[in-house]
Amino acid sequence: MLGVGRAGPLGEWRAGGAEPGSGSGSPGSFERARPTLHAPSAGSSSRDMPSAAGGCLPLDEVDAWAVLVAVDGIGPATLAALLAALGSGRAVLSVAAGTAGPRRLAEAIAGRGGRLDPALGRAIANAAQQAPVLVARVRALGIDVLTIESPDYPGRLRLLDLPPPVLFVRGDLAALDPDRSVAIVGTRRATERGRRIAGAIGGAVSTAGAVVVSGLAVGIDGAAHAAAVACGGRTVAVLGSGHQRLYPRAHTHLADRIVAGGGAVISELAPDVGAVPGTFPRRNRVISGLADATVIVEARERSGALITASWTLEQGRECFVVPGPLDEEQSLGCNRLLRLYPGQARAVPSVAELLEDLGLAGPDALPPPDVGSRRNARALRDRRALRDGRTVGPDPEAIIAGLGAAEASVARAHFPRAATLEELIDATGFAPATILAVLTRLEGEGLVVGALGRYGVGGALAATSPPRRRPRTEGTGAGAASGSS
Amino acid sequence: MLATLLAATLRGLEGRPVRVEVDVAPGLPGFTIVGLADAALRESRERVRGALRNSGFVHPPRRITVNLAPADVPKAGSALDLGIAIAILVGSEQVRPSGRWAMLGELGLGGEVRPVPGLLPMIAALARRGAGRVVVPADALDEARLVPGIEALPAASLAQAVELVRGRRVRSRGPMTRAELIPDEAAPRPPAPSDDDAWPDLADVRGQAEARRALEIAVAGGHALLMIGAPGSGKTLLARTIPGLLPPLDPAEAQEATVIASVAGEGPVRSLVTKRPFRAPHHTASYAALVGGGPRLAPGEVTRAHHGVLFLDELPEFDRAAREALRQPLEEGRIAIARAGGAVEMPARFQLVAAMNPCPCGWAGDPSGRCTCPLGLPDRYAARISGPFRDRLDLWVGLPRVAPAALLARGDGEASAPVAARIAAVRAQQLASRGRVAGRLAGRSLRAACALDATAERAAIRLADAAGLTARATERLLRVARTIADLDGEDRVAVRHLEEAARYRVPATAAAASRAG
Repeated sequence: MLGVGRAGPLGEWRAGGAEPGSGSGSPGSFERARPTLHAPSAGSSSRDMPSAAGGCLPLDEVDAWAVLVAVDGIGPATLAALLAALGSGRAVLSVAAGTAGPRRLAEAIAGRGGRLDPALGRAIANAAQQAPVLVARVRALGIDVLTIESPDYPGRLRLLDLPPPVLFVRGDLAALDPDRSVAIVGTRRATERGRRIAGAIGGAVSTAGAVVVSGLAVGIDGAAHAAAVACGGRTVAVLGSGHQRLYPRAHTHLADRIVAGGGAVISELAPDVGAVPGTFPRRNRVISGLADATVIVEARERSGALITASWTLEQGRECFVVPGPLDEEQSLGCNRLLRLYPGQARAVPSVAELLEDLGLAGPDALPPPDVGSRRNARALRDRRALRDGRTVGPDPEAIIAGLGAAEASVARAHFPRAATLEELIDATGFAPATILAVLTRLEGEGLVVGALGRYGVGGALAATSPPRRRPRTEGTGAGAASGSS
Repeated sequence: MLATLLAATLRGLEGRPVRVEVDVAPGLPGFTIVGLADAALRESRERVRGALRNSGFVHPPRRITVNLAPADVPKAGSALDLGIAIAILVGSEQVRPSGRWAMLGELGLGGEVRPVPGLLPMIAALARRGAGRVVVPADALDEARLVPGIEALPAASLAQAVELVRGRRVRSRGPMTRAELIPDEAAPRPPAPSDDDAWPDLADVRGQAEARRALEIAVAGGHALLMIGAPGSGKTLLARTIPGLLPPLDPAEAQEATVIASVAGEGPVRSLVTKRPFRAPHHTASYAALVGGGPRLAPGEVTRAHHGVLFLDELPEFDRAAREALRQPLEEGRIAIARAGGAVEMPARFQLVAAMNPCPCGWAGDPSGRCTCPLGLPDRYAARISGPFRDRLDLWVGLPRVAPAALLARGDGEASAPVAARIAAVRAQQLASRGRVAGRLAGRSLRAACALDATAERAAIRLADAAGLTARATERLLRVARTIADLDGEDRVAVRHLEEAARYRVPATAAAASRAG
């Protein structure tokens, strides 16, 4: 389905590195292949001043791969064929940039029984001419390039049948290879309830110390990312487009916050490649591939989240599904997954039980982080509470208790559901003008997100677990507002 | 023989005196009109011919030349019919006039004299020219009597007009008394029951506390308001309560509004217009209908809404060019219409109230996630409102769907009367202290009106930064905060006023609603 099924086995990339002094093999050659941006001192002057186009390119192998995958039409299969035929990415570019480049490339491929589309050959030759420009651009954008040969390449992705040969990464590379990572995905046409649950799971997973992986889409993905960021956790967004064509654009700010929070935004596409329908299913295999387990929160009948679920099962990772009401189309896909894959897709009865199943609570839980290394003291406190079994994720009461009196009443009045001004007046008895001003203050704290007259909880409050409909103890009292759609 | 008398024509909202000269000369029978006459005026030949014959006069079988002076001013409309007919009668010596006359009115083929649009400014122009008396259509006598300094004599038919010209004395009713000018003031009429459907009371609006509050601020400060909400959430109902909230026009404004009502030609004006206009053109309205123009350079909806409210329901569905043409009047309070035949400028200082669905299907942002529009379409729908246009909308407010339970259970909201009283008080205070409503403050006047103390200034900067507001949008925030402070009875704009004002800013996009949370 991805059109890359004919790619050679993983070993073939490695075999391509046989050329002396490049490619894989000894740890030393790995070192040479490291991209420069996260280790600038490793750069040499020849790399900083790429020469004009020509046969001799002072690019290293990582850059050569980046240039090649940026060519429209080169997927993992073609790249593998080129590398196998010519030995290394640099060799490919050098041949392509030389005289009669396209013809020589085609001959090399034909020598191994393959065929190179003449148009693609010309495109590679063109890219080889432009290589220094593209490499300089990637560097200027602050994007790190990882190839499958780089030591920082995420270990979980290496295990895939078809790992992306190159990753373009903005943010902290360490976020790609954490102790525990959980993907949270779902429909873009989420319900308010679905976004709340995605936030709660994202918050709980993040508080427990795992990295949240998702696709930066609107709806469920965005809610999961935002909750993780709000909890001071790391999260990885896998794009279905190049970095410079970030989609959806409305999430540009969220992407920046993810990077600022120690997470990463990654793409297997070159920076200027736009999103087309086919890139998203392909991206979904990277989402599930980066995670130990994938949680599907809401999926319609033909949601892309279902593709992620099937990748998850195919990759032998855990797949969790949040069941939903039968009469809601946003849950049909989820419920159907549970029916079609009994014993493989596992239902999520509650956030606490999900954490247990993920091995993030109880005896398997991750050890609390070192105090000094945490940016956020609250995150540490929440983590301890989680370990002691007191809470799941951040504690809403603790957050609300930190607010002023009026703010606390308003926050409590509409937690955890979104509310209209009307409902807030009924719940607090304040004047409309007062509540509106308070909402602005809460919005400034990131605790309220509002649009078109409905105010939902945001930030850390959105990352807390929704109370049960019937609170067993005196609880927060917010469960009184019952009956969602 | 040559006959002359005075008449007038209309240019935009202004009357222009026209001298009608008729020469009835021997020669082959013919009827020529010269002097930049438009199509309606050229057809006047046929009306005049019929009216003369059917009123018992003779259409002289001679060479008739009508000259309309000054020759370089374009003349439009049928108001010159009566003058031409009388001049022909005088020129053919069927009538011997007593003194000098001015005439205005359209003729029917049976000789009836009918009202014409714009009678009021035309008579005013004749009065300025020094005409002492004017014959007007009997149906429009009240409108003519609004103009002081000129005697208006009614004629229901050409025959009656001839009687007047021959010197028959009629008792003039003189200019209007104050009681006649403003009938509501003398005997306040209770609103007719049939009005209820058309102009609902705020008490009829269920829920929507935020939109009610925004509406009160908008009307009090004359701010442009945009309501975004699903179909059936009450946008149109709320907008239709506005006429019941607006304070009456002051005397100077009433004069202008009455002239516009006269030119707009929706039947003769009976008294001074004191109610603020509320215009709600349909979204299929053409460019010319909205901004004015057409062959007669007629006033458009923007001018008809002068000193009142222009309500544009389904804003994104309006023709883009027409929507963008609203920018000039929103900024400058006037509209300049240039045509090959010349340019006119008309006043257009209206308050804009607009409403739109968040997306074509109307469900974007609903908690059920049941919007069926393709993803991204709600954003594109909202993007139909261009940036510069957005900047001119001071208040944005969302109207969530009202749950059926709330619709039935909730008691009546506050009625229009107390809200209207607060609005009137704030308007009066804003006009007294700053000479204009807060919605029209900008630049220096705005800074003077919104002197912030250090705390409030920091809050304003923080709010503007957080929302990534442009300079224009920051001004918008201050303007709205000014009116909120006035409603609060505060001289100074405080932090809480700014914080409330920040609620009414542009939501990032409609889709932001579905991302929220």
